Amino acid sequence: MRILLDQFTKTFGATTVIDKMSLDIESGEMLALLGPSGCGKSTTLFAICGIHRMNGGRLLFGERDVTHLPSQMRNVGVVFQNYALYPHMNAFDNIAFPLMIRKMAKPEIERKVLAIAELVHIEGLLKRKPAQLSGGQQQRVALARALVREPDILLLDEPLANLDAKLRLEMRSEIRRIQQETGISAVLVTHDQVEAMSMADRIAIMDQGQIVQLAAPKDMYDEPVTDFVASFLGNPPIAFLQGTVEGKTIRLENSDIVLPLDAQAAKQGNGTPIRIGVRPEHFQPEHPVKISGKISFIEEQGREELFDVTLSNGMRLRSVQANGGAFRLGDEVSWGLAADKVLTFDPSGRRI
Amino acid sequence: MRRAHLLGLGFMTPALIIVFLFFLAPVVLTAVFSFTSMSSGTGISGGAYEINEQTLRSLTDRGFPKAKSEKLGHDLYRIGEEGLGAVEADFGKAFADEIRAELSGELFEGRRDLERELKKLRSRPRSIRDLKKAADLFKRSVLNTRFESETAFLDGVGETGVELTADDQAVLVKTAYTGWSWTTANYELITSMASTWRAAKNTAFYVLLTLSFNVGFGLFLAITTFYLPKGQAAIFRAIWILPRILPPVLYVMMWKWLTWDTGFLSIFLSNFGVEPRNWMLNSDINAWVCIVLINGFVGASLGMILFSSALRAIPPSMLAASEVDGANRWQQIRHILLPQLQWPILFTTSYQTLSLLTSFDYIYLSTDGGPGRSTEVWALYTFHTALNNYGGVLQYGLGAALALVLVVIGIAASLFYLRLFKFNELVSQPRIEQ
Repeated sequence: MRILLDQFTKTFGATTVIDKMSLDIESGEMLALLGPSGCGKSTTLFAICGIHRMNGGRLLFGERDVTHLPSQMRNVGVVFQNYALYPHMNAFDNIAFPLMIRKMAKPEIERKVLAIAELVHIEGLLKRKPAQLSGGQQQRVALARALVREPDILLLDEPLANLDAKLRLEMRSEIRRIQQETGISAVLVTHDQVEAMSMADRIAIMDQGQIVQLAAPKDMYDEPVTDFVASFLGNPPIAFLQGTVEGKTIRLENSDIVLPLDAQAAKQGNGTPIRIGVRPEHFQPEHPVKISGKISFIEEQGREELFDVTLSNGMRLRSVQANGGAFRLGDEVSWGLAADKVLTFDPSGRRI
Repeated sequence: MRRAHLLGLGFMTPALIIVFLFFLAPVVLTAVFSFTSMSSGTGISGGAYEINEQTLRSLTDRGFPKAKSEKLGHDLYRIGEEGLGAVEADFGKAFADEIRAELSGELFEGRRDLERELKKLRSRPRSIRDLKKAADLFKRSVLNTRFESETAFLDGVGETGVELTADDQAVLVKTAYTGWSWTTANYELITSMASTWRAAKNTAFYVLLTLSFNVGFGLFLAITTFYLPKGQAAIFRAIWILPRILPPVLYVMMWKWLTWDTGFLSIFLSNFGVEPRNWMLNSDINAWVCIVLINGFVGASLGMILFSSALRAIPPSMLAASEVDGANRWQQIRHILLPQLQWPILFTTSYQTLSLLTSFDYIYLSTDGGPGRSTEVWALYTFHTALNNYGGVLQYGLGAALALVLVVIGIAASLFYLRLFKFNELVSQPRIEQ
């Protein structure tokens, strides 16, 4: 079902947390709300499920206006960060709770619960209390409870934050599988860009109550609209270099290093301060536009190695390379940039 | 034993001493007293032997031959050396010698008989009054005479010339003893007296009603304040906590002002033509309502605090989850809040049962068991029996037995509650995530 959030405003007391935000979630897609803590992504989620009242704007589930309906009257499924399972009920009763509240017939409840338990792979655990389940199993129960009454939308609030690293990988693909099998529209709230990139069809990246960019993960990674988006996506993160425009080149601050600019950026006019962003995979020994520096940090990551290269003016670039290079800490190196992949930003942070 | 153990024991010692002195010793002493006939009549040290009107009555009740007990009650006059010596001192040697010569060893059933004989003597005193005095000097009676030991008592009885069989003697000694003795009669009394059964019924009624009010009203307050905004909730809780922090005497005094026939209720209701009356003691029902409310408000505040803190421990996301799952307020209370209050409810119930069983302070201050004895619970009945009653006869032994019954019931109830709680399960470790 298509979910439309139109001109949504949320205030807490005198503070406006979210100001006239609009968001269109297409039927059957998984949309990630990504941003640092305090950006308003959870607030948005709670507004969609009705736990928080909206101070302005409209919320449509398909054609139905649910703006002023309490959460009981909206058909939403929510998976909370701490799962919020009912500790006094076993897994079966937890999952059956939304159906029981609707006074559905016993056999019908049982059929639905068993079907959903099979979907999330917890058929054998239904008699256990939440305290007797591992974190991953609790998560599956919470998912089943959210899905069992076939909601219009599934809301996931930091679903992986409480899991250890290995379970996180497993549940990432599990949640995606379940969402795709049920074909439900879903909103995933996360601060982890890897989660957002790997699970979502589209990412809405938020900062200070505003959606900065809304795009598919790949598009967003390649074409970020601001330096905030560029820095938020990618691990290891992008490196920024400050400088000023000189003809068709940029001269880095406090140095005589000059790098070529693309035509669009070169239009800025001489003397304009700009920043360029270089992702680690675009700073490699074999690329053409050479730049010299000293290796100031090496991090072994098994399959890959991560280098920090400090330039003569103190600025730092990052490079990630396949393991096996012969570079040592303190080596003077002259590696190259992939000029066409370099991102340029104006002083306000907007992409040029 | 290692040194560390000794150190631990050393630290524990003060606590052990206190437990012994202030818990074990009183219970043991109560148990000991409960098997005695101690009362304000017998005192708590030893006693003496004495026959009085009361003794004579109970002797007959206990199967002592009536003829013999009547004889014990009569004055006897025996002419012996003791009396003769006294006569010689008071009325001269001549009179004494004459009595010795004429009447030595004789026994008279009444003074009149002796006087008649004395009048026949020549050296008798002239005035009738002196003659009576002289006759009195031969009076040998056990009635209203204290004997410090059993032998002295039996000698004294022997002098009266009453023939006693071994059985009679045992009954007589037992009945005449004024001190306390070992007995199981207290427990027989408890099971046979109608007043103990009434106290038991009152107690059951009181505990049941007050407990329901405590828990029910405590729950009601906790849940309603839970849904209020924080500031308002705090004010309401503070108001409801007042009965507990108020000194009991003051709190009950306010209830008395409220319910007196010149109190608030009467004055207020007189506007509607209701006759002024004492709303607390006017009838049994009034008294019960007052007692349950007075104790109930105090208990409810404790329940409210416990339940409120338990409610606040529920993660907000769980409440949000239940709302998203479609539960309305009532369903949320029924399916989410109440099940999670199970432990505090059980705890409050058991704790209050035990404290209500033994508490009588508010009842003592308000109705003192009245009207009549209709609100006299077991603990108050015990207190009245042993320590404070209108008649002034304080039955320590019976009171101790009554108190011991409460102790036994309390311990039994505690054990039952421990089983019910599955206490071991409650304190067991939560499972660690696999």
